[in-house]
Amino acid sequence: MDIKKKHEIEAALANETQQISSGLLKEENPLDLSDDFRIFCEACRRNDLKMCQEMISKGVNINARDKYDYTPLILASLCGHYDVAQLLLENGALCERDTFQGERCLYNALNDRIRNLLLSYDFAKSTDLLQPLAAHVTSLLSRATPKTTDITIEAHGESFHLHKFILAARSPYFRKKLAASPGTTTWRLPDTIPAESLGIALQYLYFSEVSLRPRMDEDEELIILDGIARISRQLEIDQLFENLTETRADRRLVRQRRTEELERGRDQLEAWFKQNVVNNKVVVDTDKVDKIRWDRDNSIFADVLLRADDDPGDYDSDDEEESRGPSESSTPPVRDTLGPLNGIPVGPVKSRSPSRERRPRKSTVFPAHRAMLLRSEYFLTMFNSSFREAQETQRLHMIKLDCSPAVLEVILTFLYTERADFGLNTAIEVLFAADQLFIEKLKQRAALIISSLGNGSTSTLEAENPRGERDTEETVDVYEVIRAGWDTRVQRLEEFGARYMAYRLEDYIDQPEFAAIVQESARRVKARQETDTIELIDDIRFYLSERFRLRFEDSGFDKIMAEKDEKDEEGDNEDDDAPSEDELAPDLEAQIAAGGIRTLDGQLAGDEFAQDAMNYQILLGKIDTLLENLNIDA
Amino acid sequence: MIAGRGKQRIRPPRRGLASSAVDFDSIWSLLETAFRQIHTSNASQLLYEELYRHAYQVVLKKKGEELYSSVSRFEHEWLSEDVRSEIYAHYSPQMLPHTQALTTSTATERRMAGEKFLKGLKEAWSHHQVCMSMIADVCIYMDRTYCNDNRLPSIYTTAMNLFRDDILQSPITTNDNRPVLHLLNQVILDQIQMERDGDVIDKHLIKSCVYMLESLSESGDESKADRLYNVSFEVDYLETSRAFYSREADAVLRDTDAGTYCKHAGRRIYEEEDRCRSTLAESTMPKIQQVVEDELVRNKIVEVVDMDSGVWFMLDNDRFEELSLLYNLNARVDDRKSVVTRAVQQRIVALGDDINKAALAASQSAPAAPGDAAEKSKPSAQTNQQTAAAIKWVEDVLALKDKFDMVWKESFQQDNMMQTAMTRSFADFINSTNFPRTSEYISLFIDENMKKGIKGKTEAEIDTVLDKAIILLRYVQDKDLFERYYKKHLCRRLLMNKSISNEVEKQMISKMKIELGNNFTTKLEAMFKDMTISEELTASFKKHVEGLGDKDPRRIELGINVLTSMTWPLETMGSMDEGEGKQSAVFPVAVDRIKQGFEKFYNLKHSGRQLKWLANMGSADIKAVFPKVAQKDGSFKERRHELNVSTYAMIILILFNDVPTDQHLTFEEIHARTNIPKADLIRNLQSLAVAPKTRILIKEPMTKDVKPTDKFFFNEGFNGKFVKIKVGVVSSGNKVESDRERRETEKKNDNSRAFCVEAAIVRIMKQRKELAHSQLVMETLSQVAAQFKPEVSMIKKRIDSLIEREYLERIEGAKVDSYRYLA
Repeated sequence: MDIKKKHEIEAALANETQQISSGLLKEENPLDLSDDFRIFCEACRRNDLKMCQEMISKGVNINARDKYDYTPLILASLCGHYDVAQLLLENGALCERDTFQGERCLYNALNDRIRNLLLSYDFAKSTDLLQPLAAHVTSLLSRATPKTTDITIEAHGESFHLHKFILAARSPYFRKKLAASPGTTTWRLPDTIPAESLGIALQYLYFSEVSLRPRMDEDEELIILDGIARISRQLEIDQLFENLTETRADRRLVRQRRTEELERGRDQLEAWFKQNVVNNKVVVDTDKVDKIRWDRDNSIFADVLLRADDDPGDYDSDDEEESRGPSESSTPPVRDTLGPLNGIPVGPVKSRSPSRERRPRKSTVFPAHRAMLLRSEYFLTMFNSSFREAQETQRLHMIKLDCSPAVLEVILTFLYTERADFGLNTAIEVLFAADQLFIEKLKQRAALIISSLGNGSTSTLEAENPRGERDTEETVDVYEVIRAGWDTRVQRLEEFGARYMAYRLEDYIDQPEFAAIVQESARRVKARQETDTIELIDDIRFYLSERFRLRFEDSGFDKIMAEKDEKDEEGDNEDDDAPSEDELAPDLEAQIAAGGIRTLDGQLAGDEFAQDAMNYQILLGKIDTLLENLNIDA
Repeated sequence: MIAGRGKQRIRPPRRGLASSAVDFDSIWSLLETAFRQIHTSNASQLLYEELYRHAYQVVLKKKGEELYSSVSRFEHEWLSEDVRSEIYAHYSPQMLPHTQALTTSTATERRMAGEKFLKGLKEAWSHHQVCMSMIADVCIYMDRTYCNDNRLPSIYTTAMNLFRDDILQSPITTNDNRPVLHLLNQVILDQIQMERDGDVIDKHLIKSCVYMLESLSESGDESKADRLYNVSFEVDYLETSRAFYSREADAVLRDTDAGTYCKHAGRRIYEEEDRCRSTLAESTMPKIQQVVEDELVRNKIVEVVDMDSGVWFMLDNDRFEELSLLYNLNARVDDRKSVVTRAVQQRIVALGDDINKAALAASQSAPAAPGDAAEKSKPSAQTNQQTAAAIKWVEDVLALKDKFDMVWKESFQQDNMMQTAMTRSFADFINSTNFPRTSEYISLFIDENMKKGIKGKTEAEIDTVLDKAIILLRYVQDKDLFERYYKKHLCRRLLMNKSISNEVEKQMISKMKIELGNNFTTKLEAMFKDMTISEELTASFKKHVEGLGDKDPRRIELGINVLTSMTWPLETMGSMDEGEGKQSAVFPVAVDRIKQGFEKFYNLKHSGRQLKWLANMGSADIKAVFPKVAQKDGSFKERRHELNVSTYAMIILILFNDVPTDQHLTFEEIHARTNIPKADLIRNLQSLAVAPKTRILIKEPMTKDVKPTDKFFFNEGFNGKFVKIKVGVVSSGNKVESDRERRETEKKNDNSRAFCVEAAIVRIMKQRKELAHSQLVMETLSQVAAQFKPEVSMIKKRIDSLIEREYLERIEGAKVDSYRYLA
C-alpha cells in the first residue's frame, strides 16, 4: 500500500469534514461524552472484557470517540489488549484503511499481533454484521426447495414467488392488505408498471442491494425508473428510490447507506417478529399441548409450530419461577438480561435436588416461518427430507425442540433478527441448542458471552491481586463450561476455562473434580493422536505464567525470582517427600485462613513479590504432582 | 444496572443433556426400527425431529463410534440379506450370451432378460440412495462431529461402499460365484453389441447403471481414478470393442469398396461418440475413439487408400464425398494425413508425367518428319503444331491444377499441409528432368495469348489467362531460363509490333513483379522504357529535321528504336552472331544520309554512345509505282502500292530502282552490293519473290529455294488487291526451338547462371570471411533459389574457379573443407 503524504491526508480529512458537515456523509465516529461510553473506554484501557461486553450489550456506540478523539478500538490496540480488540471487532468496531481513524488505529497498534488482527478485519474482507441475515433473506427470492413461499405476484407474465411475512414486515401497504385478507395467494400488479421495476422493488424488500442494470436505451431506463417510483409509492417504501439513485456514489457512502438500510430492515423485521411471532406464542400444560391446532391459513402466515417444554424439575422452585417468569409475560426474557435478576446460587450439578413440589409442566409453542428457520442447517435438512415434518398439510406441524422456551426464543430472535443478546444464565443452554441446530454464529456468540461475562467479578484486573482476596461466590461452574466447550467443539471455552482456573488455581488444584477433568483432557488428546501434551494443563501453565510474570516484569524482579527458584526447588524436593496432596490441602487452607504474608505452603515470605514467586513454583509443583498421581506424562 | 452483574450465573445445561448415561441399546433399537421403515418405503410418518434428537444425544455422549458401526452393520445386513435376494430375483441365465445350457434363447429374449436385470439393479441402487440420504439426514450430527474428528467417510459414503461390497462385488448366489458386477458388465456389453447390430435398446437404463458404477470407486476414496466404471466396465468395454471392430474391419474391407468402407467407418465412429453421450460416460469417448480409430482406420488406412477403389479411383472419378470421408478418417489418426497425401501426390505426378509425355510426343512429331521439303512446304503449320503442343501442355497442366484445387476445396477442407504437398507434386513434374521445356512452353503460351489469344476478350478474361500463366510460373524452378525465353518473345513482340495491347503486356509484367520480385522484371521494364524513349526520340528527331529548313519532298521519315544492348536479348535475334554480321549492310544513299543525320543528332544528345544499326529488325514503308503493263485480267493502267517491307527488303528493292526492267540481278550480285547477311538475304528474297501474294520480284528459276545463282527481275506486272501491302518476312518465327537451339540457349543460360552463382558466393564470403564448404553450398542455394536451382556440381566448379582467380582460398588443416575470402 502506498503511503500518503501529510498534506494529502490533511486534504482528505478536510474534505471528509466538509462532506460530513454538509450531510453527505455520516459521521462515523461521533463524539460521545456519556458516562457509559466513558466507562466503556476505561474498560478498554484496562482490559476488562466483562465490562466491555456489558457495555456493548447495553448498546453504546462502539465506534464513537471520546473527548480526546480516541475510539475504544484505538484504546484497546494502543494498550495491546488483544482480547478486547477482538471483542470490539467482532461486535462491529470499524478499522477501515484509508480512513483517518482506521489508519490511526493501525498506526497505534502495540504489536504486530494486534496489527494483523486489525488488518484481518478490514472492511474489504469483513462483512457487515447483518450481511448473513440479508443474504439469507435475499436467497429466499430464488430458493426453490424446500418450498416456503405463500404468495405469488404476477406482472407481465412473470411471476414472483414470495413470502407474505416478509412483505408484511417490510411494506406498510402489504401489511394493511394482508391484514385485511390473510388468505390471499396471488396479487396482481397494474400492467403499467414494468416487470423489471417490480423485480427491483422486490429485491429491495428482500434486503438485496439494488441497482439498475446499465442499458443503452435511455427511454427504457426512464420507464423503469418511473415504474419504480410508482411502485415504491404504492408499497410505501420511499427509501427504495433513494437507495437506487445513489448507488453510484463512493464506496464509503454506499456502505453507510447500506448499513443504515439493513438496520432499518432488520428493525422492521424485528418489530414484526415481536409483534406477531412472540406475541402469538402459546403457553399451555404439556399434557394439552397436542391439542393446539393451527391452520395453514393464519393471520401471521406461520407455516410451522415450534414447541419447547419447560424442564421438568431441573431447577429449584424459585429458579423455575424465574425461567418461566419472562415467558409468561409478553416481553422476552432475553431482552432484560441486564436487568436485576434475582440470581439464586446454584449448587454443583450433582448436588441438585429434584424439585420439591410438582406443578403441571408447561409447554410453549411459537408459530414460525420455515423460510427463516432454514438459516439453521438442521431445519434445512428437515424440510428438505421426506420425513413427516416436510410434508405439507393443512394443519401445521408442531416440532418439538430440545430446549427451554427461553432458549427457543433466543434462537428464534437470532434467526429472525440476527440479534443475540442473552444472559449468562442461558448461555450454556444456547450453546448446546445452537450446536444441535447447526447455527454456528449463535454458538460463537454464546461462547463469547460465556468467556467475556463469565470472568465474573474476578476480571483480569484482579490478577493484580493474585493472593485470592475476592468474593467467594462463584458465578461459573468452570468444569461445566470446559466440558461444554469440548462437547460443542468451541476452543475458546477451553481456553477460557484454563485461564479462569489458572487465576484461581489454588482453589481448584486440590479438588477431585480438577483431577477428573485433567484426566478427561488427557483422554481427549490421546483419542486424537499420540502426543504427550495435555491441552488443558498446557493452557493452565501458560495462563499461570501470564498471571505471575505480569507482576515480575512490572517490578523488574526477574533476578530475584531466579534466585528464589533455586531455593524453591530445594524446598520442593523436600515437599515431595512430604505427605500426599490430600493431606496437604486442608493444611493449606487452614494457613490461608490464618492470613499473613505466607506462601501457599505456609512458609513465611519476605515480601509480597517473593511470595508470588514462591507461590508460582508451588502451584507448578502441585500440577506435576497431580500428573504423577494420575500416571500421565506431560 | 451494574449492580446486577456478578449475580448472573451460568446455568448448567438441562438434565436431558447433562445426564451422562445414555441407553445406547434402547435408542439404537428405536433408530433401527425407523431405518427399517425407511428401507421399506414406509417412512412418511416418521418424525425427523425425534430421530435426529436420538442420534444427536448418542453422539453428544461420545457414543458416535457405536452409532457409526451400528448403522454400518445394519446396512451391511440389510444389503446382503434383503437386497441381494431381490437382485437375484431379477437374474436369469438367459440374459447372458453364450451360456452353454440355454443357447436356444433368442436375441429378443436375451435382451428382455438383460433389461430386467439392469432394471432390478438400478432400482435397488436408486432406492438405496434415497434411503441412505434420509438416514444420513438423521445422522447429520454424527457426520459433522464424529466422522469429521476421526477422518471417517460420511455415513452416506460408507453405505454406498457397502452397496459396492455387498451387492456388486459379491457372488450372485452362493453356488454361483460370479460377482454381480461381472454379470452387470456382461449384460451391458451384450446390450451394446445388440445396438451395434441394429437393435434398439434402453439407453436410459444403461446410463443409470453407468452412473451407479461411476459414483462408486474401487478403494472407497473420492478419487476419480479408480471408479468402478473405469476399472471394471470400461476395461471390458474397450477390449470387446477392439475385438469387434477388428473383425468388422476385415469383413467390410473384403466385401465392399473403399468409399463404402469410409462411410462405414465414419458412421461407426460417430455411433461410438453418440453412445458415449447417450448410453455410457463422456469420459470414455476419447478412449473408445482411440480403439475404433486404431482398428478401423490406423490399421487399415494404407490398405484402403491403395485399394483399386482407393484414392486414385476417387480422384479420377471425382468422388469428392468419398475422398472427403477418407481424408477425415486419415486426419483422425494422423495430423499429417500422410497416407492420403502420399497417394494424392503420386497421382498428381503420374498425371503430370502423362501430360509431359503427350506434349513431347506432339512437339516431336513435327521435327520427326524431317527433310527440307516439309520445312519449306508448311512452315507455318509446323510452327503452329509446335506452339499448339506448348499451349496444349499449358492448358492441360492448368486443367489438372484446377481439378486438384477443386478436390482440395471439396474434399480436403482446404488443408494447408495438403496444399503444400500438392504444390510440391506439381513442381515435381513440371520441373521434371525428363521434360526440360517448361519455361519455354509457358513463355510461348503467354506469347501466343499476347499476339492472338486475347483478341476480343474482356479484361476479366484476360486477367484469368494471365493469372493462369502466373500460377504455372510459380511452379517453375528455373526462373532465369523462363526470363530468357520471355525476354526473347517479348523483344520480338515489341519490335515487330505484334503485341495486341501494350496495356496487357504491362499488366503481365506487374503480375510477374508481384510474384517473382523486382529483380526479375527490371530488365523487362527497361525494355518498355526503351520503347517509350525511342518514340520520343523519333518525334524530336522529326522536329529537328523539320527545323533544318529546306523542305525536301523526298525526305525519308525515320522511326527509330534505340535499344540498350544489355537489356535486350539481341543475340537471340540472330544479329550479333556470325562473323559477317559485323559488316553492316550497305544502305542506299538516301537512307544512309538520314541514318547519318540521326547519328549526329543522337550524339548531340548523348555523347559517347555508340549506335549500332540492326537492319534485320527494322521495316520500311515504300511507295512503289508499277508501270502500265498488261495484266492477266487485261486491265492496263499504272498501279501504286504502298509496300511495307523489312529494312533489308527495302534495300533490295531500291537496288532494282537502278535496274532496267528487263535486267536482272543475281543473288551473288545482290549480296555483293548490299552486304546483307546471307541467311537474311535468302529469307527476304523468298518473301519478295516466292510468296505468291507479294511477288514483287520474279525469280528464275522459279523454285522455292534461293540459290546463289538465281536471277531476280522486277515484276512489272505485280498486281495487289490492296493499296497497302505488307510483305512479311519468312521469319524464323516464334516457334519451339530446335534441339540445337535449345542446347545453345541452355549453354547461354548456364553461363549466365555461372555468373549468378559466383556473385552469390562472393557476396556470402565477403560477409562471412570464412565458411565451411557445406554451409557455403547451402547458402548459395538459398540465395539463388528465387531464380533457379543450380546443381551442386556447378557450385563446386564455381568455387574452384574463384579459388583459381584468388577470390577465395582453402583453409589448410580445417576439420571440414572450408574457405576463406581474400579481400
